[in-house]
Amino acid sequence: MTQTQICPPEAVEESPASASRRNFLRGLPVITAGAVGAPLPALAGQPGSRWGMLVDVRKCIGCQACTIACINENEVPEGSYRTIVSTYSVKQPEAAGQPAGTYVLPRLCNHCDNPPCIPVCPVGATFKREDGLVLVDGDRCVGCAYCVQACPYDARYINHDTGKADKCTFCGHRLEAGLLPACVETCVGGARIFGDLNDPKGELSRRIAAAGDSLKVLKPELGTKPRVFYIGLDPRFAGKVAGQGALWNPQLHGGRS
Amino acid sequence: MNPSIVETVNVAREVAWLPWAVQYFFLIGLSYGAFLLSLPGIVGRRRGWAGISRLALLGALVCGLAAPVALLADLHQPGRFYHFYQFFTPSSWMSWGSFFIPVYLGGLVLYAWLAFRPLLAQQATDGSLSPRLARLARTLAYGGLESRGALLAAAAVALVGAALVALYTGMEVMVVRARPLWDTPLLPVQFALTALAGGVGLTLLLKRFSGQPDAAQGSIPLFRALAATQALALLVGAVWLLLGLTGLSPRHAQALAEVAPSAAWRLTAVWAAGSTALTLWLALRRPGSGLLIGLLAMHSAWMMRWTIFIGGQEIPKTGAGFYQYQLPLGYDGLLGIVGTGGLWVALFIALTTLLPVARLNREAA
Ligand code: SF4
Ligand code: SF4
Repeated sequence: MTQTQICPPEAVEESPASASRRNFLRGLPVITAGAVGAPLPALAGQPGSRWGMLVDVRKCIGCQACTIACINENEVPEGSYRTIVSTYSVKQPEAAGQPAGTYVLPRLCNHCDNPPCIPVCPVGATFKREDGLVLVDGDRCVGCAYCVQACPYDARYINHDTGKADKCTFCGHRLEAGLLPACVETCVGGARIFGDLNDPKGELSRRIAAAGDSLKVLKPELGTKPRVFYIGLDPRFAGKVAGQGALWNPQLHGGRS
Repeated sequence: MNPSIVETVNVAREVAWLPWAVQYFFLIGLSYGAFLLSLPGIVGRRRGWAGISRLALLGALVCGLAAPVALLADLHQPGRFYHFYQFFTPSSWMSWGSFFIPVYLGGLVLYAWLAFRPLLAQQATDGSLSPRLARLARTLAYGGLESRGALLAAAAVALVGAALVALYTGMEVMVVRARPLWDTPLLPVQFALTALAGGVGLTLLLKRFSGQPDAAQGSIPLFRALAATQALALLVGAVWLLLGLTGLSPRHAQALAEVAPSAAWRLTAVWAAGSTALTLWLALRRPGSGLLIGLLAMHSAWMMRWTIFIGGQEIPKTGAGFYQYQLPLGYDGLLGIVGTGGLWVALFIALTTLLPVARLNREAA
């Protein structure tokens, strides 16, 4: 299998607009690299901040550095993930000259603006903060897993170490310290851009504005209003993927008895 | 399946509503189904129903008392159950459910007590119980009076509670848009119909083992009720399929599209339809003692819930293919299923020690 990135046509096209956008971007300091280089706070949250993320799938190399960084940062138990780079082998048309390519898609909680995981929670333990983060109040959660069922993105799971619902927090604890989420900071390809959606001059807003029509979210038809955006999202992977499933299937439930 | 895409790396999410949830939905369904069967004989005083209705009430009580235990066990923080009452959240059907359950169970226990009081008093005096148990029966009978007004009031509370429980158990699952298989408007109807059928099935079994030679003769109203539930279940199933196949209802079509490619799911569907049709035919033509059709009806009610809950959670929301679920042997799996069964039997033994099924089954109290 060759490591060929499969991009939707509009992303591959070398239109003058996209070329100039790239040139424009090249001139910008890459926020992730900046954060790695300087241990100083990379983010300054303002009172009216609203956090969001942009994933440029074209830049993702599928290395799973984010997956590992997140596990280390957040003590994610074995077999569970807050973020993962879903990887697919995709048959290529004859003309491509090679039988299959790889498509990679980083997934995480979308911190939806209309999150179906919140209204179902029977004790109000799941909530959306002013700054856009969708979080679980661990002191209140009864571990009923209703939110796990209601999230259309399989972003939630029950943490067997705590017996509570768990998921990506956009590394809220790091944001408070002025740091980027661990996955963003570690991203090798610079595919994850994190920032304040309310800051029109910020890198995130500029990149989103520049993306135009190529800006996508997962399962837009559900009206969940995800705050994780994608560039280079192949429509075949925007919803439930039609294909052959992965073979690896960890199961920890009942393992402790 | 589209073989041009193969998933090589992805997260497989575990089943988060465990077999405990299946047990809860099964038991509470059986309970409200059997409760409804208790009404014609006890509240309506219909001829030929007295024995059936008392046995049904016993079944409703045993299932109703065992169900919340399974529900608690499905929480990953069972010790925090009081949070349900501390933090009422009106947007959540589950939150409403935590209030509906006590309404139903409170009404049911009171109704059962009022209905069984005179029988308990008789049991205490007829010498069949040991002195200590007789004393207990006498205490519980608390005079053994028949208080019709109170009985009707308690039955009304339980009826409202049963309707609310049937409503919330259906809606709680139906509103999960993230799972197309659950998000079909017919699901609450299917839950209620199979619950009713399961309740009839349970009552048939109790009737069969009530030690009366004319069990089959006395069960005729139950055969009819069972046939009706099965016919309706088949009808609703056909409507479900039709809505999905024709695309008249996009939600049903999406649900169908998720499971149709899987051979295992097709087999499950044929199994469900086949056993329902068989139960219908047997109930109409060859009911026998009621044992077989009773078991078949209960099996359908359980299978339906297992398929919806466990099978539904095997369908990834974003990933390709299916997750594989293997029933663990521990308390999160087989042990949980067997454990709720054991609890049921223990409750049944405790109640029937004081009030044997033979006494409940007598036409005249
Ligand atoms: S992705 Fe899922 S868990 Fe995250 S906010 Fe949206 S619905 Fe909730
Ligand atoms: S698992 Fe916790 S956060 Fe999720 S719905 Fe239940 S109580 Fe709420």
